[in-house]
Amino acid sequence: MTSTNTTKIEIKGVGRTFPLKTSGSSAAREFTALNDVNLSIQKGEFLAIVGPSGCGKSSLLDILAGLSPASSGEVLIDGVTVTRPALDRGIVLQGDSLLAWRTVRKNVEFGLEAKKVPKAERRDISDRYIKLVGLSGFEDHFPHELSGGMKQRVALARALAYDPEILLLDEPFAAVDALTRENLQNELLRIWNTTGKTIIFVTHSIEEATYLADRVAVLTTNPGTIRQVVDIDLPRPRSGGDIRSTPEFGRFRHTLWQLLHSGEAHA
Amino acid sequence: MPERQNALTSLLLRSSGIIFFLILWEASSRLRWIDPYFLPRFSVVVAEIGRLIQDGSLISNLAISSARAIGGLLIACLVGLPLGFIFGRWFPTAAEALDPLLRIMSQVNPFLVLMASTLILGFGETTKFLVIAWVSVWPLLFYTITAVRSVDPLLIKTARSMGISESGLLQQILIPASLPTIFTGLRISAGITFFILVAVEMLNASSGLGYFEHNSAMNFEIAGMYAAATVIVLLGFLLNRFLIALERSLFAWRAPADFLLGSVHTDKKRVLWRPGRFATATAAVMILLLLISGSFEIQRVNSERASMLSGENPGKHARHLGSEVGK
Repeated sequence: MTSTNTTKIEIKGVGRTFPLKTSGSSAAREFTALNDVNLSIQKGEFLAIVGPSGCGKSSLLDILAGLSPASSGEVLIDGVTVTRPALDRGIVLQGDSLLAWRTVRKNVEFGLEAKKVPKAERRDISDRYIKLVGLSGFEDHFPHELSGGMKQRVALARALAYDPEILLLDEPFAAVDALTRENLQNELLRIWNTTGKTIIFVTHSIEEATYLADRVAVLTTNPGTIRQVVDIDLPRPRSGGDIRSTPEFGRFRHTLWQLLHSGEAHA
Repeated sequence: MPERQNALTSLLLRSSGIIFFLILWEASSRLRWIDPYFLPRFSVVVAEIGRLIQDGSLISNLAISSARAIGGLLIACLVGLPLGFIFGRWFPTAAEALDPLLRIMSQVNPFLVLMASTLILGFGETTKFLVIAWVSVWPLLFYTITAVRSVDPLLIKTARSMGISESGLLQQILIPASLPTIFTGLRISAGITFFILVAVEMLNASSGLGYFEHNSAMNFEIAGMYAAATVIVLLGFLLNRFLIALERSLFAWRAPADFLLGSVHTDKKRVLWRPGRFATATAAVMILLLLISGSFEIQRVNSERASMLSGENPGKHARHLGSEVGK
């Protein structure tokens, strides 16, 4: 309990295996998605997890969210083992996770209803977060009337609205075009700055990880395990200038690239 | 102003086929292309409908038929919807195992069911409700299972990440996400219900629109026969239109499909309608009233017939002689 002053999340020896269905063979076979993942994340830190597809990134996020159990090891949040989902963690998933039958406002209020926040208060909060993600004026629109980028903003506002301490983002900007993605990245950094949340951001883009994160955990595939954690010592704020073109950015980018590719060579 | 003119032109365009058909009907009888005894003029049939409304027999049979249709559909909903959710959400393996059986059962010709259930349950109302429910339950069941199983896992994951319970998930995600597909099943069920109702009433009833139609034919009341047929067709059409309109306004939150097809009707602004408690209660009371008034009407007609036939020796086709009751 002494070391939890600044440590928010502690991932201790987490593994995840899935039983494989093989007809004809009597031996029970398993697929190891994650093996012995150890990581501790500080309060207010922005951590990115990069890795090739199939490295167990999403499995790790599911375990952090409490949506699926770890086969071995455990995840501690503020020193307490995670056993189930709760509103202290907000989640934004890849793709369109909005409730199509609810307006933007009612989508943002969805978690607040689960939290049993009174109606008048819900309205104030949703107003605030819709404004925060820059969607004022779209409160009464339905998701099908929004662009892909706007939908992801709503999903972000929904996760922020019930005020979780941790944000778990699973490739949230993967499905939007490059220009929109850059805007959303800057918005996320701004929101992180104003709210001070602890963020775990899963992506397959090295550049995105470098641009956003304080630290980048590189996962290698088969079995998924952490190869190395890289500190990104780039100055903040990173938006504004074209930081992506600086040699420092290129160096970090290259380090990550090498880690990812040497990992593949071993497999 | 040009907007209204457009609407009028569109209406005229869309009803031109119907108008042409009615003119053809009227002409073929007037010009004796078809013997007017077997095909009375459309105007004569319309007049007959008016007469049947005035003497009350059309309203009486309409009430009876509606009660049977609503009763059968309600039974189908009460069985099909919960079963669909249970199979689709909690027992997908059972649904898969039972699928061949259910598919075969759904293919059983309703007339075979009618024969069997008439033998077992007799000529009473139970048989009619059962056959109608049997026919209409399958689309409801299959569409519900499909709807529940195709709810986007992303939505379920998102809701679960907020610590929502299984019952909360059902109310907040599964039901609203499946409703549009279930409603399509309901629309198909309602159509089939209407079809089979008329057939059942022809074979196995002494009241209702199907009976009236059949009885008029048996008694060579040809205008009455066409009048009943016209009313049946009109009713089926209106029911279908009503359900489509309801579907459009209930699920206006969906991306319009006709937009993708480049249809000419995209300019219609679809207005979302969320029925509140009052609207839902009103609808429920209206359905219940239809059901109750129809049931009373069935009882009244049956007891009248019983008192008319008492003393007589009910022969093979006695029910056809009872047509006087309807008048």
